[in-house]
Amino acid sequence: MNDTPTPKKPRNAPGALSNAAIGRIFTLPGQAVSVLVLVVPLLVALYMSFTDWSPTRGALFDAGFVGFENYSELLIWDTRFLFAVLRTFLLSVVCLSLEFVFGLGLAVLFLRRFRGTSLLFSAFLTPMMILPVVVGYIFWMLFQSNGPINQMIEFVFGAEATVEWFRSSTTAIIAVIVTEVWHWTPLFFLILLSGLNAVPENPVRAAVILGASPRQVFWRVVMPTLKPVIIVAFVIRSMEIIKLFDEVFMLTRGGPGSATETISLYIYKLAFNDFQLAYGAAAAFLVLVGSLLLVHLLLAPVRDQLLEVER
Amino acid sequence: MNKPKLELVSLCKEYDNGSVIAVEDIDLRVEAGETVALLGSSGCGKSTTLNMIVGLESPTSGDIQIDGKSVVSVPPGRRNVGLVFQDYAVFTSMTVRKNLAFGLEVRGKYVLEINRAVEEVAELLGMSDKLEARARDLGGSELQRVAIGRTLVTKPSILLLDEPLSNLETSARLAMRRELRRLQSEIGLTIIYVTHDQVEALSLADRIAVMNAGRILQVEKASTICAMPGHTFVAGFLGSPPMNLIRGKFEARGGEVFFRRGDFSLALGAGATVPEGYFTLGMRAESIRLASGADARFTGRVSLLEPRGSEAVLTVDVGRETLKVVVPPHARLAVGEVVGLAVDRESLHFFDGDNNRATSLELAGRIF
Amino acid sequence: MHDKKLSPLQTVILMLALAIVLFPVFWILMTAIKPPTDWNASPAIWIPSEPTLVNFQTLFDPDALGKYGVGGVSQPATKAVLGSLLATIVATTLSVVIGLFSAIGISRYGNGGKATPLIILSGRMFPPAAIAVPFVIIFSNVGLIDSYVGLIAIYVAVTLPFSTWMLKSFVDDLPREIEEAAMIDGRSKLMAHLTVTIPLIKGGLFATTMFIFILNWSEFMFALVLSYTDVSTIPVQLAKYVTATAGTLYGVQAALAVLAMVPLVIVGYLIQSHLARGMTFGAIKQ
Repeated sequence: MNDTPTPKKPRNAPGALSNAAIGRIFTLPGQAVSVLVLVVPLLVALYMSFTDWSPTRGALFDAGFVGFENYSELLIWDTRFLFAVLRTFLLSVVCLSLEFVFGLGLAVLFLRRFRGTSLLFSAFLTPMMILPVVVGYIFWMLFQSNGPINQMIEFVFGAEATVEWFRSSTTAIIAVIVTEVWHWTPLFFLILLSGLNAVPENPVRAAVILGASPRQVFWRVVMPTLKPVIIVAFVIRSMEIIKLFDEVFMLTRGGPGSATETISLYIYKLAFNDFQLAYGAAAAFLVLVGSLLLVHLLLAPVRDQLLEVER
Repeated sequence: MNKPKLELVSLCKEYDNGSVIAVEDIDLRVEAGETVALLGSSGCGKSTTLNMIVGLESPTSGDIQIDGKSVVSVPPGRRNVGLVFQDYAVFTSMTVRKNLAFGLEVRGKYVLEINRAVEEVAELLGMSDKLEARARDLGGSELQRVAIGRTLVTKPSILLLDEPLSNLETSARLAMRRELRRLQSEIGLTIIYVTHDQVEALSLADRIAVMNAGRILQVEKASTICAMPGHTFVAGFLGSPPMNLIRGKFEARGGEVFFRRGDFSLALGAGATVPEGYFTLGMRAESIRLASGADARFTGRVSLLEPRGSEAVLTVDVGRETLKVVVPPHARLAVGEVVGLAVDRESLHFFDGDNNRATSLELAGRIF
Repeated sequence: MHDKKLSPLQTVILMLALAIVLFPVFWILMTAIKPPTDWNASPAIWIPSEPTLVNFQTLFDPDALGKYGVGGVSQPATKAVLGSLLATIVATTLSVVIGLFSAIGISRYGNGGKATPLIILSGRMFPPAAIAVPFVIIFSNVGLIDSYVGLIAIYVAVTLPFSTWMLKSFVDDLPREIEEAAMIDGRSKLMAHLTVTIPLIKGGLFATTMFIFILNWSEFMFALVLSYTDVSTIPVQLAKYVTATAGTLYGVQAALAVLAMVPLVIVGYLIQSHLARGMTFGAIKQ
């Protein structure tokens, strides 16, 4: 029988601050920054979204209040906005699916821990370490008409198969997808590999002994442990890909036309090219609400598990 | 003669191209309905042997036969052998029912059949009221029953268990021991389990196979193995306290035969010839008794007295040897005191000094 | 036991994947050392026959750049490099320090406010383009436009979720008893944390700092929107160079890109074992 006495909890010295007070003090700077630098501008932007303000019209607070006009215009009439939303959504779905599939494939390969694993592991993580603008720039070069990608296509399929990537909408979107998938597959790879390595071995062996085929073992035993990991990966990436800006800016500036215009690019254009700041703010809030809903939905299946872990 | 349920023939397992030998030349026959314990300390190869029987590892050489047929090329899911892991490895994301049903579900059995089998096993293990509980909400011994039930549902012909009692608290251990014995008698299962705990081995098994360094040193009925150790390792492993072992030589002096090592000398009777070479003398702590005066065959100095409820264990230094002696609990002995000890000739065991195996010797006109 | 060898098919797939992963990096490294004559060759040149470091020199040479165009294109990169260093180092330090205290507060003392996690996390969900808008307005009213102070403030706010959450997961990993022991010894709670908690999460602190460094160094949109004449960072300068028509400035652009890239790749390698934790807000540990 153990004989250790229950450890004493530190008692507050007289005059010392209570735990709750200390907690508040420690989190105060973080909250202050968040409030000042995020919440305040957010509220300003919110207010702005209900006005028809534009910088040429004088001070913000003199601007006319137009209620939900900006919002309704965006949702009903602004096809460019709706297309940008749809486009960003589809782009996200395609990119995330591809990133997941490739990331999973790589993770499964790396499970075996062959010779050279750690060196190759570092190599495969490289793309995600590169600045988004640089990634966009590199692929801008690669996809040039006289660039290496066309050279390789010509080598395999002949000169007629080469493409002017940035000329047509479809090929431009493909270029964006290729760029994004190259950039972020390593993250799925990293997360999925961690998840797969964390799957406990004995239940897998038990399943094999009970007669399960490899496929059955994967779906019935491995997947349940992997599910929360996969969802976290998707949520994290979704949150970031919705804001896709840097790579597309360098690749196509949203073109040709608005073929590759993501939501962020559209809002940027509204705010900083057209100076329709109020309108742009409204668009941003729509995106924010949408993102929050999306994350909420995606996290629903694992919310209990994550909360349990937190406790 | 009936074929044995399981037979291991010259089983070997090597790793790293032979630089690590986990299991060396193991032969074992297990009859149907028997319970056999593989007993040994960690690293002796018992778990590797278990893994090979179930099919998680394949032997480097040798054969494994179940019901007379070699199963070495049969994958683990098809050998009809069940394994309960030391950490139970229950499927935590599923309910108890799903856990139990797993083996049949993956074989594509019909729902009705599955349900019947699951409920039967749940009843057998006393888990009928827990069927819908989530596996992750259960406690240690319940998890173990789920793990056992999970294999029983597939009606294996052999049940393997890895250290079945080591993760349980004492009270749960007794309960599980009873549980396993009940399963044995009710279903007639052949059970093989692995343990490092001799109590676990002695209390559950019909026969015990003692392993060390990848080899089986002795296979013997549980009821007799303590009394008849076939190897010094077995002698020194079993029993509480384990048998006293002294390695020495015989000599004949003045018409009497002695066993001697250093200052320790034990008279064995009248005689003139003695076997050559080294031998190990084994004396069980229970066989040595306190004696006084002329009865004492040798004397020693008390160094420790450990009360143990219904008995006490005395540690005595005889010359440079240390002996453990079981004495009555009320014996009043002080550390440093010199005591006389005696042992009956019938209780002496001898082991060959080279191969450490039990031998029979003719000495001083009698057979030891 | 894991098999230690891959099948031939698996090896081929692995090599193919490796080639795809490394080719773009290879390309930009080659381009950065191409002499100007090779820049826009058609078909493109993969490995220059006469590699040179002149592009890196040109980056910092206003006269040499002047030949290539006007406006941002002919700007030397000196200011951008210094600006990136300034903004990144200061913002990272502030973000980590503030995040550290928030992390300790949330981990050890309950929330310090129920809304704190939500506020901090939702900072990541807002499109930067939109936050930029009110920033521009507010900043121009308080004279912070085109100033490093403004940029740094935004960088701190935007990276705070990462630094807080990542550090919190490291603090969570420490058993509370260690700090409580120090507190029983008579130290005040603050001192206990300073002398016990913080040294014990040194590794995590380093990883978090490097991670935030990567985020800030890479940041583009806010810098783009908030920089005019006084403020410049490397990503912004790169974008300016790229307004030159395709091919006319490849080497110089690539040189700047490589300069930007190399520190991050090295840093990434250093904190490799903590990347999963950083990227997932501490949800997943390697």
